Amino acid sequence: MKNQLKNLHLSLTAILFLVLTVLAGCAPDKNNSSDDTPKENVSQEITTNLGGEPYTLDPAFASDTTSFWVIQHLYEGLLEYDKDGQLVEGAASKIDVSEDGKIYTFTIKEGLKWSNGDAITAKDFEYAWKRVLNPETAAYSPTSFYYIKGAENYNTGNGAVEEVGITAPDDLTLVVELSSPTAFFKQLLARAEFLPVNQSVVEAKENWAGEADSIVTNGAYILDSWKHDQQIVLVKNENYWNNEAISMEKINFEMVADATTYYQMFKTGELDLINSLPLDSIEQEKNNNEYVSSPSFSVYTFSFNVEEKPFTNKKIRQALSYAIDREAIVNNITKAGEASAFGYVPFGFITPNNEDFRNQSEKYYEFNPERAKQLLEEGLKEEGWSELPTVTFKYNTADNHKKIAEAVQEMIKQNLGVNVNLENQEWKTYIDTFKQKNFQVARMGWGGEFLDPLGVLSHYTTTNSSNFTNWSNAEYDQLIEASNPEQDPAKRIELLQKAEAILMEELPIIPILFSAQNALVSEKIEGIRFDVLRNPDLRFAKRVE
Amino acid sequence: MYFTRRVFSMLVTLWIIVTLTFLIMHSIPGDPFSTDAKALPEDVLENMREKYNLDKPLPLQYVLYIKNLLLLDFGPSIQSNRDVNTMIATGFGASAILGLQSLVLSIILGIGLGGLAALYHHRFLDFLSMLIAIIGISVPSFILAPLLIKYAAVEWGLLPVASWGTWQHTILPTIALTVGPVAIIARFVRASMIEVLNQNYIRTAEAKGLSDFQVVLRHGLRNGLIPVITFIGPLFASLITGTFVIEKIFAIPGIGKYFVDSIFNRDYPVILGTTIFYSIILIITLFLIDLSYRFIDPRIKLSSRED
Repeated sequence: MKNQLKNLHLSLTAILFLVLTVLAGCAPDKNNSSDDTPKENVSQEITTNLGGEPYTLDPAFASDTTSFWVIQHLYEGLLEYDKDGQLVEGAASKIDVSEDGKIYTFTIKEGLKWSNGDAITAKDFEYAWKRVLNPETAAYSPTSFYYIKGAENYNTGNGAVEEVGITAPDDLTLVVELSSPTAFFKQLLARAEFLPVNQSVVEAKENWAGEADSIVTNGAYILDSWKHDQQIVLVKNENYWNNEAISMEKINFEMVADATTYYQMFKTGELDLINSLPLDSIEQEKNNNEYVSSPSFSVYTFSFNVEEKPFTNKKIRQALSYAIDREAIVNNITKAGEASAFGYVPFGFITPNNEDFRNQSEKYYEFNPERAKQLLEEGLKEEGWSELPTVTFKYNTADNHKKIAEAVQEMIKQNLGVNVNLENQEWKTYIDTFKQKNFQVARMGWGGEFLDPLGVLSHYTTTNSSNFTNWSNAEYDQLIEASNPEQDPAKRIELLQKAEAILMEELPIIPILFSAQNALVSEKIEGIRFDVLRNPDLRFAKRVE
Repeated sequence: MYFTRRVFSMLVTLWIIVTLTFLIMHSIPGDPFSTDAKALPEDVLENMREKYNLDKPLPLQYVLYIKNLLLLDFGPSIQSNRDVNTMIATGFGASAILGLQSLVLSIILGIGLGGLAALYHHRFLDFLSMLIAIIGISVPSFILAPLLIKYAAVEWGLLPVASWGTWQHTILPTIALTVGPVAIIARFVRASMIEVLNQNYIRTAEAKGLSDFQVVLRHGLRNGLIPVITFIGPLFASLITGTFVIEKIFAIPGIGKYFVDSIFNRDYPVILGTTIFYSIILIITLFLIDLSYRFIDPRIKLSSRED
């Protein structure tokens, strides 16, 4: 039988060969792009990775950085970031603030147009903002508006829309009345929920921002195409008032979720920019000219539950903080451009003295094992305990958090002789645990909601809904509250510094490090702006070859 | 009679799946609205829950869901403002293309490899085929896929790394999806062919003077394929509904990732929608497979009671 079966064998082999040949023949034409194109004629196009489908392009509902990145290129608020990252007038031409700091009068630029040609008026802003506040809209961030008179009451169903301090007396004037002066109100105006939407477009179709053919925008770009879960293409908005300043004509956002994959796509030139790297490649890319590391306005912490023994005792909390060698963590563990957090407010906020808030403030909790031991002893004595029992640190399941938690575990064991038990949970379960304060110590990263020390410090007031430490301090609350209406910027910084000092002395949270963003940018692209708070700004980027 | 009974039992199965999924899903901690640790004020959360009927008691939510389901409406995704129906409709295309390509390739290569092994039982080609099969079974797709990318796309520049759009984009993911099933099919085919080729009727066929090709194709394969078909049913259903790992690695806009992402996001309508969609495909495929046995082996009778 074996000899007679040769035919069959041959035909099977033939099929295999056929398949392999077809596969091998599928190479894409890689050498089509000619390298000798004159530089002036380089088409201004950039391809980058968005990471995944943005949940929404409707500013009212956006809550994630993926959505924000596209939205910041599509819409323009009253204020806008310029080439250098300074907040300047965008859709507004003039902003008048009343002497008591409570009434803001915005004059809208004349002749502004939506991408569909409609005129942009103050009414669009009034409509957009009241839409976010409307309880029926169920928007994600109505709380940013709560500084405006009547806004919170309307949003929580305790007041009428007519009582909200947002009015448009004519097409070019928007008047906003705050319930009390708010120093950082202009910073808030740059956030997504304050962007305008076109009323007739929104009312015409429920999911207007879900497809390329129905979305109408007012910023530097329009949505050219949207292939869901695959690609978003933005092209320059010809109706945009400042479109001559925009150098990048076309932005392709690919949606590649896997870190190794987008890293490889960058390597083959399929992507010009990736704004995160696989953890294990950072070390290797650090000396690459294409590598960019930039600070981020966020702080990585371990929160105590101050009602959970033994962390009811302040000195024991402080002891743990002194026992942690932050320099060693950022230099040997994370190694991606993070900064040691010797304080709570991250780098990035420039005070009126033209100095970074962080540098202008005290350096807290430099590594000091002796002080740590001493504090632990004092704490134990105060409580009448002979030794500290094993404590449990919780974190959400992820490699980087695991590494940091293990380093901290080791440092505490070594410097204090205290055993730390580590527990991890999947993210959503973890948030639940965290919010129920079901922990002794738990990790959490906090990004500032706006570029101001208050953007992170406000979390720890007694009434703040993001304070999960059970810590409450009347003096701290009072300082935070006083800083808001303070019209003198220098005095305000002083109040915030005092507040941070209390937070660091009482220590309901241990700051570990200030995060960094890591990116790879092709050498063919210049002028991408990385920001401490937002995704990379591509508007003023240029392709040079 | 068989049909009515079968359709009825299919519907009951589906109902049980929906109900169990509904209950299990609501019992996992966490909710769709806590995307980060920033706590939204209770009033804001209340507004959101109201919008998605999540403020209502669970039994009522269940009734509302079943009511919409009967109208074939899976509801809106909580995360993305899109309809689950639209999400499945747009994503299914990519998953189905990859799934079908890989299914066809798996069957051809699997039967070929298994057949070769059986024909050259205990000889070199047998060992070689089975070696390939064992490697295929033991190398998981999340290892194979990055390797394919590293060599085929990055080092040799033959194919695009990832993304979707042209037929070239489908090649690497198809290979990554195919290797495992090929190995399994090959082993099935080998085992059953070895058994079949030793049967008397094969000798009869050879004695009749049929060519080897005809013996193997008409008598050997047909009988050797029954266990393979049992495996192909669920394989078909799982391949065409996409795979999380492959879709993630190759950035494919399919529905595979919704199965997993929706659970991480606690996006209840998407969890239910994708589960139901997969179940329907699986149930129907199993039904068709049962029917096909009859044609392959007339001795198998379709009956729903004791044989």
